[in-house]
Amino acid sequence: MSDSVANGCLSMSRRDMLRASGLGLGYLALQFLQGQEQLRAANGGRFDLRPRSGHLPARASSVILLMQNGGPSQMDLFDPKPALKRLDGRTYEERVEMFQRGSEANRLLQSPFNFRKHGQCGMDFSEVLPHLASVADDLCMVRSMASEHNNHTEALVLFNTGKIFPGRPALGSWISYALGTENQNLPAYIVLRDPDGYNTSGTLLWQNGWLPAIYRGTEVSTRGTPILNLRRQDPLPTNVQTANLDFLARLNEEHRRRYPHETSLDARIQNYELAARMQLSAGSILDLSQETSATRRLYGLNDANTAGYGLRCLMARSLIEHGVRFVQVFPPVQPQFQPWDAHTNVLTENQAICGKTDLPSAGLIKDLKSRGLLENTIVIWSGEFGRLPVSQNGRGRDHNRNAFTLLLAGGGFKRGHVHGTTDDVGYRAADGRVTVQDLHATILRQLGLDHNRLTFHTHGSDESLTDARVTRARVVSEILQS
Amino acid sequence: MKCVKNSLWLFLMPLILPLLPSAAQVQDKARSHWAFQKLAQPAAPLLNDSARVRTPVDVFLLARLQAKGLDFSPDAGREALVRRIYLDLIGLPPDPEEVRAFTRDKSADAVERLLDRLLASPHFGERWGRHWLDNAGYADVTGTDNDAGIIRLSENKWRYRDYVVHAFNDDRPFDRFLQEQIAGDELIEWRSAKHFSNEIAQHLIATGFLRMAADDTQENELNTLDIRYRVLHQTIETVSQNLLGLTMSCAKCHDHKVEPISQPDYYRLQALFQPAFNPERWLQPSQRQIPDIAAAQKEILDKHNASADQSIAELKKQQAKLGKSAQDQKTAGELGQKIAVLQAQRKSWGHWQTIYDVGPPPTTRVLRRGIPDQPRKEVLPGFLNVLTTPKGEQLLERPQPKAPSSGRRLALARWLTDADTPAGSLVLRVRVNRIWQQLFGTGIVSTSDNLGLSGARPSHPELLEWLSCEFRDRGQRLKPFLKLLMTSTVYRQASGQHPGGKEGKVSPHKVDPDNRLLWRMPLRRLESEIIRDSILAVSGKLERTIGGSPTPTEAKPDGTLVISDKGPLGAGPWRRSLYLLARRNYHPTLLGVFDQPNMTLNCTHRTAAPVVLQTLTMLNDAFVLEQARYLAQRVAQQADVAKPDAAIAAFQLVLCRGPRPAELAASIAFLRRQADNFREQKLLPAAASHKAFEQLCHMLLNTSEFVYIP
Repeated sequence: MSDSVANGCLSMSRRDMLRASGLGLGYLALQFLQGQEQLRAANGGRFDLRPRSGHLPARASSVILLMQNGGPSQMDLFDPKPALKRLDGRTYEERVEMFQRGSEANRLLQSPFNFRKHGQCGMDFSEVLPHLASVADDLCMVRSMASEHNNHTEALVLFNTGKIFPGRPALGSWISYALGTENQNLPAYIVLRDPDGYNTSGTLLWQNGWLPAIYRGTEVSTRGTPILNLRRQDPLPTNVQTANLDFLARLNEEHRRRYPHETSLDARIQNYELAARMQLSAGSILDLSQETSATRRLYGLNDANTAGYGLRCLMARSLIEHGVRFVQVFPPVQPQFQPWDAHTNVLTENQAICGKTDLPSAGLIKDLKSRGLLENTIVIWSGEFGRLPVSQNGRGRDHNRNAFTLLLAGGGFKRGHVHGTTDDVGYRAADGRVTVQDLHATILRQLGLDHNRLTFHTHGSDESLTDARVTRARVVSEILQS
Repeated sequence: MKCVKNSLWLFLMPLILPLLPSAAQVQDKARSHWAFQKLAQPAAPLLNDSARVRTPVDVFLLARLQAKGLDFSPDAGREALVRRIYLDLIGLPPDPEEVRAFTRDKSADAVERLLDRLLASPHFGERWGRHWLDNAGYADVTGTDNDAGIIRLSENKWRYRDYVVHAFNDDRPFDRFLQEQIAGDELIEWRSAKHFSNEIAQHLIATGFLRMAADDTQENELNTLDIRYRVLHQTIETVSQNLLGLTMSCAKCHDHKVEPISQPDYYRLQALFQPAFNPERWLQPSQRQIPDIAAAQKEILDKHNASADQSIAELKKQQAKLGKSAQDQKTAGELGQKIAVLQAQRKSWGHWQTIYDVGPPPTTRVLRRGIPDQPRKEVLPGFLNVLTTPKGEQLLERPQPKAPSSGRRLALARWLTDADTPAGSLVLRVRVNRIWQQLFGTGIVSTSDNLGLSGARPSHPELLEWLSCEFRDRGQRLKPFLKLLMTSTVYRQASGQHPGGKEGKVSPHKVDPDNRLLWRMPLRRLESEIIRDSILAVSGKLERTIGGSPTPTEAKPDGTLVISDKGPLGAGPWRRSLYLLARRNYHPTLLGVFDQPNMTLNCTHRTAAPVVLQTLTMLNDAFVLEQARYLAQRVAQQADVAKPDAAIAAFQLVLCRGPRPAELAASIAFLRRQADNFREQKLLPAAASHKAFEQLCHMLLNTSEFVYIP
């Protein structure tokens, strides 16, 4: 933890601009900017993955994002609405925003599930999530989340990058850029998806945007080759491989001597060393066969229904344990690549996806806790938006950007705590509304980062994840342990 | 919405807001900004020592170097120079014979003749056209492209790509090139043409330039006012970033806080595009494309098809009446044949992706905070106030398009290309700065996307000014301009080790660590496409056909994106990377790991971050291994792989130079060691030697030297 965060590239131009503007910012402004420039200069003007600390004391050092795409239904999972039971089948007084067809009748639909209070804290959970309910005392539930868009892609891109339009860096990229990573044998930001395919929006959700490419999420597969091209399809004998790399190093060192001022050549040579280390060590980190049978059961690896997602959750723990900064986990893509998208039948569709993900999600939290990792790891369980209180074609629900629920665990978030409310039927966030940008600001805060100061200079301006001047993002201190 | 947002501003904003000048004040002040002035030819500085001066470009640079006690580096070696020139002009390495011919040519004009030859190569347009396609934001797909498995192709969009390649090969003057792309449809009468001549076709296809913004409105659920405006606004912002080097997007919602661009400015500019992209009379992409034949021809074909369809319908009616008897079945068969013949005679045509006015100009209103359903006061079409002179305003009074059209884009094109005005001068500076950036890694203005008030100051202001005048005076043609730059000492100097200067001289690295004064040629990493093209060139497998429909790619379940083997016949897997299907977010793995940019909007500067996935790809990717084997085979056809000659030949092919003595010794030892290793694997001696040689070829492709321009 040597360097402090290299705070974007505040180029000469901005200093020139300030100097030229003659607005009397004078001494204070220049001192601030020069400080930032010196930090970056100390880093040789390069971007790297060396670990560094943020602007503020940190409560957490790593993040696991369990990205439950499709739009989990808040009133069927986390946010009980007695009014819906009472008014089931009645026309709702307000015409809701429809995305697809089928909700024209605007008739309220009660949840097919029963709710019960769990844990010492008495947190409500639907009967379809018994395992997450069993860790209620470790969870911070936010019922008053709000998105901006009713389409999956836009809302997912918003949740992962802060704006609905593709092209900006993902949360994990920002965090890798800011903090580097502890394990120098692995990438800082790792993505674990179903090997059967991509979830909605695919690689858009872990892109580096205009941040340097080293901050892009790297896909690690839980089937076959874990890292793309980590090994050859036709492996070479070890002595051949060693001789190859020795010879190459010799040629590259000779070349390097001819270019004493080109530091990028060092990075290239270092990458061949890292690749060799990854080929050796990544294999053992990514090899989960040594896990005990009790651990494997905790993640549901003994059951075909939970094994796929369970393996990704277990891999996430292993990566975090080995010092990876940010891991993003996706749910199954079968039978559909937005598994929480219950348009047709709230009962059966939720039973199906909960059956595949509930136990492993809870298993991950239990495992992290028992290993003492939960203290420093933020676990986020969330979809991109919620669902409507009215029925779509009788038994389904359409998209709803106005309210959804998310779960947080570890990393200095309150335990056994419920934040915020929705209206009587769960259509809109009411008290304690939290935007996606607020969430981002809060996560950064727990990692020791000030969302206003974490910037990157591109396209002629200083960009930030939260764009607080426009979005008015704020740290939601109400959900943080004091 | 991209504005200054660092904490300093946030913190100080409440304090300084009352002090901030009004938009009008900003604009008045900005009128004196260097980049917003009309071009004025500066005099070249005088030098007392001009031994290293080959062109006036050198005079400007050397004056600054000498002021710091520095000098250019010695000239690069001939082998390095010929490889540099090949990669810069055509993006392919020279063959060993070409290297030999150049190194042996001791005539004074050897470099000039080499430049002339390569500037005339059809591969020149592929190389320099690619840079322009980056600036324009080229993609073959229509929408935002957010699913690896779903490809929504724009029919024949690649014709714009080919138009660009040919325009560069023809050395089209830049002003003409811009006019065709912005207002080709208003420069030529096409609606009433009997048939589309090649000239008409080129003018229409050129306007594909304005069809680069991602357009998702083909999907009915996304055909909404906000997404329509997004297409319009992205078009404005891409064009402004590309041509004016200014960031417009802030002004969509409010007056720009640091640039002299007011919110009405933004909407005045929007009004120029609005007759074509009218959110109130929106055309979905499939409606916007036009038939690639003239309306008159289409009418004839439509009639022909209608009559064929009528005949087919009658025959089908007769068929339906027939029973199951043998005679009836026979008749049915005969009728079926007739139907097939008629169907084969139906005529079809393709489509082009172009731009044209979809109706009379609508009223343009400023949108409150950029929100589509909150229109406010009306604005008239116009240009950026800070860059406009009374002469510019007149452009809109009578644009006189050659086709029935508002002429607003034609007026815009003229405003941008009148070198005698501030706007036209800025366009030339932006263009010249990007050409410089391409050759020297960094622009004279390092922020090549921003020449505004918040952009960087030019490192050599007089040089940029002089070059812009020179480009203008050479007819805005790229080829003579490149020749000027590349015959200069600054381009021909060594990129590597500086001898440290003569006794008593200062160390240039200490004085100018970032090499902004260009005391050496910067080392540049090859772009992703050129790495793949170079691999194919040295393996001998490159298919050199110019142009045509893109080679399809596909996403594999393991996460790789590869060239599809399901492509149509003739879509070669080993064509230049320029011809691979251009998606916005999903690039072939090899290209993606080497920083091929996502085309969300456009790209004005490629990055080259060394990432470990590049290393893993070069070491283990099936394509690289396959090409290394072909390279070994290629050498084995001319040399015995067990002898040093083969190693020498491999160095010459891959690195365009022979091995140095130490390298040759290391190579021979390496080949022997690897042959022993393979014999341990029970391979026969000949097979073991060949396998060992394949390793040598593969490692040469992995060297730093191979992926950098020397």
